[in-house]
Amino acid sequence: MTDGSSLTREITQGRIDAYAEASGDHNPIHVDPAFAATTPFGGPIAHGMLVLALIGEVMYRDHGDAWSAGGRLKVRFKAPTRPGARVTASAIFVRETDGAREYAVQCADDAGEVLIEGRASVPAAARP
Amino acid sequence: MTAVTRPPITSFPRGHTFARASFSLDAAAVRAYLDAVGDANDYGASIPPLAVIAFALRELQASVSLPDGALHTGQEVEHEAVVRVGAPLTMQAVVAQRSERQGFVITVVEIVVEQDRVPALRARTTIMAPAGGGA
Repeated sequence: MTDGSSLTREITQGRIDAYAEASGDHNPIHVDPAFAATTPFGGPIAHGMLVLALIGEVMYRDHGDAWSAGGRLKVRFKAPTRPGARVTASAIFVRETDGAREYAVQCADDAGEVLIEGRASVPAAARP
Repeated sequence: MTAVTRPPITSFPRGHTFARASFSLDAAAVRAYLDAVGDANDYGASIPPLAVIAFALRELQASVSLPDGALHTGQEVEHEAVVRVGAPLTMQAVVAQRSERQGFVITVVEIVVEQDRVPALRARTTIMAPAGGGA
Protein backbone atom coordinates (compact mmCIF):
# COMPACT_ATOMS: atom_id res chain seq x y z
CA MET A 1 0.00 0.00 0.00
CA THR A 2 1.29 3.40 -0.97
CA ASP A 3 -0.19 6.85 -0.58
CA GLY A 4 0.10 7.49 -4.26
CA SER A 5 0.14 5.39 -7.37
CA SER A 6 0.10 6.04 -11.08
CA LEU A 7 0.57 4.61 -14.54
CA THR A 8 1.15 6.18 -17.94
CA ARG A 9 -0.13 4.95 -21.30
CA GLU A 10 -0.34 6.35 -24.80
CA ILE A 11 -3.86 6.59 -26.16
CA THR A 12 -3.43 5.87 -29.85
CA GLN A 13 -6.09 5.94 -32.54
CA GLY A 14 -5.56 2.19 -32.81
CA ARG A 15 -6.44 1.81 -29.14
CA ILE A 16 -9.52 4.00 -29.62
CA ASP A 17 -10.62 1.87 -32.59
CA ALA A 18 -10.04 -1.32 -30.60
CA TYR A 19 -12.07 0.06 -27.72
CA ALA A 20 -14.90 0.95 -30.12
CA GLU A 21 -14.94 -2.65 -31.33
CA ALA A 22 -14.78 -4.13 -27.83
CA SER A 23 -17.39 -1.83 -26.32
CA GLY A 24 -19.67 -1.38 -29.32
CA ASP A 25 -19.41 2.41 -29.02
CA HIS A 26 -18.79 3.55 -32.58
CA ASN A 27 -19.70 7.20 -32.04
CA PRO A 28 -18.07 8.94 -35.03
CA ILE A 29 -16.50 11.55 -32.81
CA HIS A 30 -14.14 8.75 -31.74
CA VAL A 31 -13.61 6.74 -34.91
CA ASP A 32 -14.47 8.88 -37.94
CA PRO A 33 -11.77 11.50 -38.59
CA ALA A 34 -13.81 13.20 -41.31
CA PHE A 35 -16.79 13.66 -39.02
CA ALA A 36 -14.67 14.53 -36.02
CA ALA A 37 -12.98 17.27 -38.04
CA THR A 38 -16.34 19.04 -38.28
CA THR A 39 -16.82 19.16 -34.51
CA PRO A 40 -15.45 21.79 -32.15
CA PHE A 41 -12.68 19.31 -31.28
CA GLY A 42 -11.33 19.39 -34.83
CA GLY A 43 -10.52 15.69 -34.82
CA PRO A 44 -11.19 12.40 -33.07
CA ILE A 45 -11.17 12.12 -29.30
CA ALA A 46 -10.95 9.04 -27.11
CA HIS A 47 -13.92 7.49 -25.38
CA GLY A 48 -14.16 8.77 -21.84
CA MET A 49 -14.55 5.22 -20.55
CA LEU A 50 -11.34 4.18 -22.31
CA VAL A 51 -9.33 6.83 -20.50
CA LEU A 52 -11.18 6.25 -17.24
CA ALA A 53 -10.16 2.59 -17.43
CA LEU A 54 -6.64 3.69 -16.47
CA ILE A 55 -7.94 4.83 -13.09
CA GLY A 56 -9.74 1.53 -12.64
CA GLU A 57 -6.51 -0.26 -13.50
CA VAL A 58 -4.55 1.70 -10.88
CA MET A 59 -7.18 1.10 -8.19
CA TYR A 60 -7.39 -2.64 -8.89
CA ARG A 61 -3.61 -2.95 -9.01
CA ASP A 62 -3.40 -1.37 -5.55
CA HIS A 63 -6.50 -2.83 -3.88
CA GLY A 64 -7.48 -5.98 -5.78
CA ASP A 65 -10.95 -7.35 -5.14
CA ALA A 66 -11.53 -4.78 -2.39
CA TRP A 67 -11.86 -2.33 -5.26
CA SER A 68 -14.08 -4.58 -7.36
CA ALA A 69 -16.35 -5.54 -4.46
CA GLY A 70 -16.60 -2.28 -2.53
CA GLY A 71 -15.02 0.58 -4.43
CA ARG A 72 -16.64 3.90 -5.21
CA LEU A 73 -15.77 6.25 -8.05
CA LYS A 74 -17.07 9.66 -9.03
CA VAL A 75 -15.42 11.62 -11.83
CA ARG A 76 -15.95 14.40 -14.33
CA PHE A 77 -14.57 14.30 -17.83
CA LYS A 78 -13.00 17.73 -18.02
CA ALA A 79 -11.19 17.77 -21.34
CA PRO A 80 -10.97 15.60 -24.45
CA THR A 81 -8.17 13.08 -24.91
CA ARG A 82 -6.74 13.19 -28.39
CA PRO A 83 -5.03 10.32 -30.23
CA GLY A 84 -1.34 10.24 -29.43
CA ALA A 85 -1.76 11.67 -25.93
CA ARG A 86 0.35 10.13 -23.19
CA VAL A 87 -2.01 9.92 -20.26
CA THR A 88 -0.97 9.50 -16.65
CA ALA A 89 -3.61 8.17 -14.27
CA SER A 90 -2.99 8.72 -10.60
CA ALA A 91 -4.63 7.98 -7.27
CA ILE A 92 -3.41 10.00 -4.29
CA PHE A 93 -4.55 9.14 -0.78
CA VAL A 94 -6.56 11.95 0.78
CA ARG A 95 -8.03 10.71 4.05
CA GLU A 96 -9.69 7.87 5.85
CA THR A 97 -13.27 8.53 6.86
CA ASP A 98 -16.50 6.62 7.47
CA GLY A 99 -14.70 3.31 7.10
CA ALA A 100 -13.25 4.12 3.69
CA ARG A 101 -9.90 5.25 2.32
CA GLU A 102 -10.49 8.10 -0.07
CA TYR A 103 -8.26 8.97 -3.04
CA ALA A 104 -8.07 11.94 -5.36
CA VAL A 105 -7.95 10.45 -8.83
CA GLN A 106 -7.16 12.04 -12.13
CA CYS A 107 -5.92 11.51 -15.63
CA ALA A 108 -3.67 14.16 -17.13
CA ASP A 109 -1.70 14.47 -20.35
CA ASP A 110 1.97 15.26 -20.74
CA ALA A 111 1.19 18.96 -20.97
CA GLY A 112 -0.39 18.77 -17.54
CA GLU A 113 -3.95 19.26 -18.73
CA VAL A 114 -6.39 17.43 -16.47
CA LEU A 115 -8.62 15.20 -18.57
CA ILE A 116 -10.53 13.39 -15.84
CA GLU A 117 -10.80 14.34 -12.19
CA GLY A 118 -12.66 12.99 -9.20
CA ARG A 119 -12.61 10.82 -6.09
CA ALA A 120 -12.39 7.09 -5.48
CA SER A 121 -12.64 5.12 -2.27
CA VAL A 122 -12.19 1.60 -1.01
CA PRO A 123 -13.35 0.06 2.28
CA ALA A 124 -10.72 0.75 4.92
CA ALA A 125 -11.12 -2.68 6.45
CA ALA A 126 -10.01 -4.22 3.19
CA ARG A 127 -6.61 -2.52 3.28
CA PRO A 128 -3.82 -5.10 2.79
CA MET B 1 -28.08 -6.48 -41.08
CA THR B 2 -31.45 -4.82 -40.70
CA ALA B 3 -31.34 -1.15 -39.86
CA VAL B 4 -33.22 -0.38 -36.67
CA THR B 5 -34.23 3.11 -35.71
CA ARG B 6 -33.53 3.80 -32.09
CA PRO B 7 -34.75 6.97 -30.42
CA PRO B 8 -32.00 9.33 -29.31
CA ILE B 9 -31.13 9.57 -25.64
CA THR B 10 -32.24 13.19 -25.76
CA SER B 11 -35.86 12.15 -26.38
CA PHE B 12 -36.47 10.41 -23.07
CA PRO B 13 -38.05 12.29 -20.16
CA ARG B 14 -36.92 12.16 -16.57
CA GLY B 15 -38.25 9.02 -14.94
CA HIS B 16 -38.28 6.94 -18.10
CA THR B 17 -37.40 3.34 -17.34
CA PHE B 18 -35.74 1.40 -20.12
CA ALA B 19 -36.52 -2.24 -20.73
CA ARG B 20 -34.53 -4.58 -18.54
CA ALA B 21 -31.69 -6.21 -20.46
CA SER B 22 -30.00 -9.54 -19.81
CA PHE B 23 -26.47 -10.30 -20.84
CA SER B 24 -23.31 -12.05 -19.81
CA LEU B 25 -19.67 -11.41 -20.57
CA ASP B 26 -17.56 -14.30 -21.76
CA ALA B 27 -13.80 -14.54 -21.48
CA ALA B 28 -13.27 -13.42 -25.08
CA ALA B 29 -15.26 -10.23 -24.61
CA VAL B 30 -13.41 -9.41 -21.42
CA ARG B 31 -10.06 -10.17 -23.06
CA ALA B 32 -10.91 -7.87 -25.98
CA TYR B 33 -11.79 -5.12 -23.51
CA LEU B 34 -8.58 -5.56 -21.52
CA ASP B 35 -6.47 -5.60 -24.69
CA ALA B 36 -8.19 -2.46 -25.96
CA VAL B 37 -7.62 -0.45 -22.80
CA GLY B 38 -4.18 -2.00 -22.23
CA ASP B 39 -4.97 -3.22 -18.72
CA ALA B 40 -2.22 -5.61 -17.57
CA ASN B 41 -3.82 -6.65 -14.26
CA ASP B 42 -4.68 -10.30 -13.67
CA TYR B 43 -8.38 -10.30 -12.88
CA GLY B 44 -8.69 -14.08 -12.81
CA ALA B 45 -12.35 -14.99 -13.29
CA SER B 46 -13.56 -11.51 -12.39
CA ILE B 47 -14.40 -8.58 -14.63
CA PRO B 48 -13.16 -5.03 -14.03
CA PRO B 49 -16.10 -2.95 -12.78
CA LEU B 50 -15.62 -0.30 -15.44
CA ALA B 51 -15.73 -3.01 -18.08
CA VAL B 52 -19.10 -4.11 -16.76
CA ILE B 53 -20.34 -0.53 -16.99
CA ALA B 54 -18.95 -0.19 -20.53
CA PHE B 55 -20.83 -3.32 -21.58
CA ALA B 56 -23.97 -2.19 -19.75
CA LEU B 57 -23.84 1.04 -21.77
CA ARG B 58 -23.53 -1.11 -24.89
CA GLU B 59 -26.70 -2.92 -23.87
CA LEU B 60 -28.43 0.40 -23.33
CA GLN B 61 -27.48 1.44 -26.85
CA ALA B 62 -29.45 -1.50 -28.19
CA SER B 63 -32.56 0.58 -27.52
CA VAL B 64 -31.17 4.11 -27.48
CA SER B 65 -29.01 6.01 -29.93
CA LEU B 66 -26.42 8.60 -29.09
CA PRO B 67 -26.63 11.57 -31.43
CA ASP B 68 -23.47 12.37 -33.33
CA GLY B 69 -21.40 14.61 -31.12
CA ALA B 70 -22.78 13.24 -27.86
CA LEU B 71 -20.26 13.40 -25.03
CA HIS B 72 -19.85 11.42 -21.85
CA THR B 73 -19.28 14.12 -19.24
CA GLY B 74 -19.53 12.35 -15.90
CA GLN B 75 -19.46 8.90 -14.35
CA GLU B 76 -20.18 7.52 -10.91
CA VAL B 77 -19.89 3.86 -9.98
CA GLU B 78 -20.55 1.96 -6.77
CA HIS B 79 -19.22 -1.58 -6.67
CA GLU B 80 -21.26 -3.97 -4.55
CA ALA B 81 -19.84 -7.33 -5.60
CA VAL B 82 -17.18 -8.84 -7.80
CA VAL B 83 -18.68 -9.62 -11.22
CA ARG B 84 -17.66 -13.00 -12.62
CA VAL B 85 -16.90 -13.96 -16.21
CA GLY B 86 -19.89 -15.78 -17.67
CA ALA B 87 -22.30 -14.89 -14.86
CA PRO B 88 -25.86 -14.02 -15.93
CA LEU B 89 -26.35 -10.29 -15.56
CA THR B 90 -29.35 -8.04 -15.85
CA MET B 91 -29.33 -4.30 -16.32
CA GLN B 92 -31.99 -1.77 -15.46
CA ALA B 93 -31.59 1.84 -16.53
CA VAL B 94 -33.64 4.91 -15.63
CA VAL B 95 -33.42 8.53 -16.73
CA ALA B 96 -32.69 10.17 -13.39
CA GLN B 97 -32.27 13.74 -14.64
CA ARG B 98 -32.81 15.64 -17.85
CA SER B 99 -32.11 19.29 -18.50
CA GLU B 100 -31.44 21.57 -21.47
CA ARG B 101 -28.80 24.25 -21.65
CA GLN B 102 -27.38 26.25 -24.52
CA GLY B 103 -28.61 23.88 -27.20
CA PHE B 104 -27.56 20.72 -25.41
CA VAL B 105 -29.55 18.12 -23.53
CA ILE B 106 -27.90 16.78 -20.40
CA THR B 107 -29.17 13.36 -19.43
CA VAL B 108 -28.24 11.42 -16.31
CA VAL B 109 -28.94 7.71 -16.56
CA GLU B 110 -28.90 5.55 -13.44
CA ILE B 111 -27.95 1.95 -14.09
CA VAL B 112 -28.14 -1.03 -11.79
CA VAL B 113 -26.42 -4.24 -12.86
CA GLU B 114 -27.53 -7.35 -11.01
CA GLN B 115 -25.67 -10.62 -10.77
CA ASP B 116 -27.60 -13.59 -9.43
CA ARG B 117 -30.50 -11.15 -8.89
CA VAL B 118 -28.43 -9.11 -6.44
CA PRO B 119 -27.09 -5.63 -7.26
CA ALA B 120 -23.43 -5.84 -8.17
CA LEU B 121 -22.87 -2.37 -9.60
CA ARG B 122 -24.70 0.93 -9.52
CA ALA B 123 -23.77 3.71 -11.90
CA ARG B 124 -24.77 7.23 -12.87
CA THR B 125 -23.75 8.22 -16.36
CA THR B 126 -24.02 11.82 -17.56
CA ILE B 127 -24.32 12.39 -21.29
CA MET B 128 -24.42 15.76 -23.04
CA ALA B 129 -25.86 15.71 -26.55
CA PRO B 130 -26.96 18.30 -29.08
CA ALA B 131 -30.66 19.12 -28.66
CA GLY B 132 -32.65 17.73 -31.56
CA GLY B 133 -29.87 15.36 -32.50
CA GLY B 134 -31.12 12.20 -34.14
CA ALA B 135 -29.77 8.71 -34.42
